[in-house]
Amino acid sequence: MKRIIYLIFILLGVTACKEVFEAPPQALLKATLMNSTTNKSIESIVTSRGVGLDSLFYSKTNLSEILLPLSAKDTTSFHISFDSTIETISLTHSTSMKYASMESGFYNEYKLLKVDFSRNRIDSILITDSLVTKTWHENIKIYIRPLPTNGN
Amino acid sequence: MRILKFTFVLCLLTAISYGQADQKKKYKPSRTDNYIRMKGIRFGADITRPFQDLWTKGNRYGSEFSADMELWPNLFPVFESGIDIMKIQTNYIDYRSSGSYSRIGMDYNFLQAENKNDKNIFFVGLRYGFVLARQQVNSYLIDSYWTPTTGRFGSQNYFAHWGEFLLGIKGEIVNNVYMGWTIRGKIRMNNKDLGMPPVYFIPGYGKADKGFSLDFTYSVYYNIPWDFRKSIDRKKAEAENKRAGMAIKKLTGTKKLPIKK
Repeated sequence: MKRIIYLIFILLGVTACKEVFEAPPQALLKATLMNSTTNKSIESIVTSRGVGLDSLFYSKTNLSEILLPLSAKDTTSFHISFDSTIETISLTHSTSMKYASMESGFYNEYKLLKVDFSRNRIDSILITDSLVTKTWHENIKIYIRPLPTNGN
Repeated sequence: MRILKFTFVLCLLTAISYGQADQKKKYKPSRTDNYIRMKGIRFGADITRPFQDLWTKGNRYGSEFSADMELWPNLFPVFESGIDIMKIQTNYIDYRSSGSYSRIGMDYNFLQAENKNDKNIFFVGLRYGFVLARQQVNSYLIDSYWTPTTGRFGSQNYFAHWGEFLLGIKGEIVNNVYMGWTIRGKIRMNNKDLGMPPVYFIPGYGKADKGFSLDFTYSVYYNIPWDFRKSIDRKKAEAENKRAGMAIKKLTGTKKLPIKK
C-alpha cells in the first residue's frame, strides 16, 4: 500500500514539474562606458528610454555597462542620459529570426550596421562586435567626456 | 528517463555477461525447444501510449497496436503501427505535430521453454520504423521592450525513419492473454532539414534533435489460437486426396475392366 502511495506521489511530482517552459532567450546590445580622456571604463548614472516609448529601460542606475534591446525594425533609437546629460543614439541594424526550441520559441538576433549619436557628452562610439546575439557580450564602446571637477 | 537508461544498460550488461559466460563452455548446449509453441497470431495494444503526457514535456498522446506470430521456432516477425500527436502551447508558441508510424521487425526468444505449454518469452528484437509526419507552428510571439513580433509558419510535411533494438518480456497471464514490457533503444536514421522551423518531433520516435533515445512500452496481447499450419496441411491433404480420387476415377473411366459373371 505504501509503495502505491509513493508511486502516486512520484507521478504527481512528475506531472507537476513537467509543464515548466522557459521564455525564449533575448539578444541585447551591450555597451561599455569609457572615459574618453583616460580610455578606462567609467561609471555613470544612466537613464534610458526608447524613442517613442514611455517606459524607461534604466532609471537613474549607476552603471559601467548597459544592455539595450533592439527592435525588429531597421533602426532603433534611444534617449540615454549620462549623469543628467541627455544623448540620442540611433543604431541601424539588420534583424534575423532564430529558433531556440519548440518549448521556448523564437527570438531575434541583429547585425549592427551603423551608429549615429548626439555629441553632448559622447565623444565617440566604437563598434567592437557587430553581432548582437543571445550571448551578451560587448558590442560597442561609448566614449564619454568626464564631468568637470570642481577646483574651488 | 535516467532510470530507463540505467535499466537498459544493466540489462545490456547482464546479456553481455551471460553471453561471455556461455563462451567459456566448450560446447554450447543446443536448444531442446525447437518447436512452435504459440499457434496463430497475437494482437497487442500498448497501454502506455495514451498516458505519455504524464512524463513528456508538452502534450503527447497516441495509441499503438501490434501483431506478431511465431513463424519459426522462437522467431517472431512483428508489425507495429500507431499514431502519435505532440502539442505545445505556451505564451510564446503554439505547436502541433502528428503522424501515423509503422515498424516492422523480428523478435528472438532466448528463454528455454520447459514444456509445450510454456509460452512466456524473454526476447531481443530489431525494428525498422518509419513515419510520414506533419508539423505546424500555428502562432509564435517574440516578446520585446519594443513592439512584440507575432507570426506563424505553414504546415510542413516530412518523412523520418529510425532503427530500434529491443529487450523485453511477454508472459501469458491467462489462457491466450499476455502482458509484457519492452525497453527500446532508438537510433535516428535521418533528420530532414526543413529550414525554419526545423523538425522538432518525430511521431513514434521522439525529439528529432536526439540521435539516440530510449523508450519504454507496456502492452497487453491476445493470441488468436488459430493454427494456420494445420489448416494448410489439411487443405493440402484434401487437395491430394481429391487429386488421387480424380486419378482413380480417370483410370477406371478409360480402362474398361472385364466383369466376371
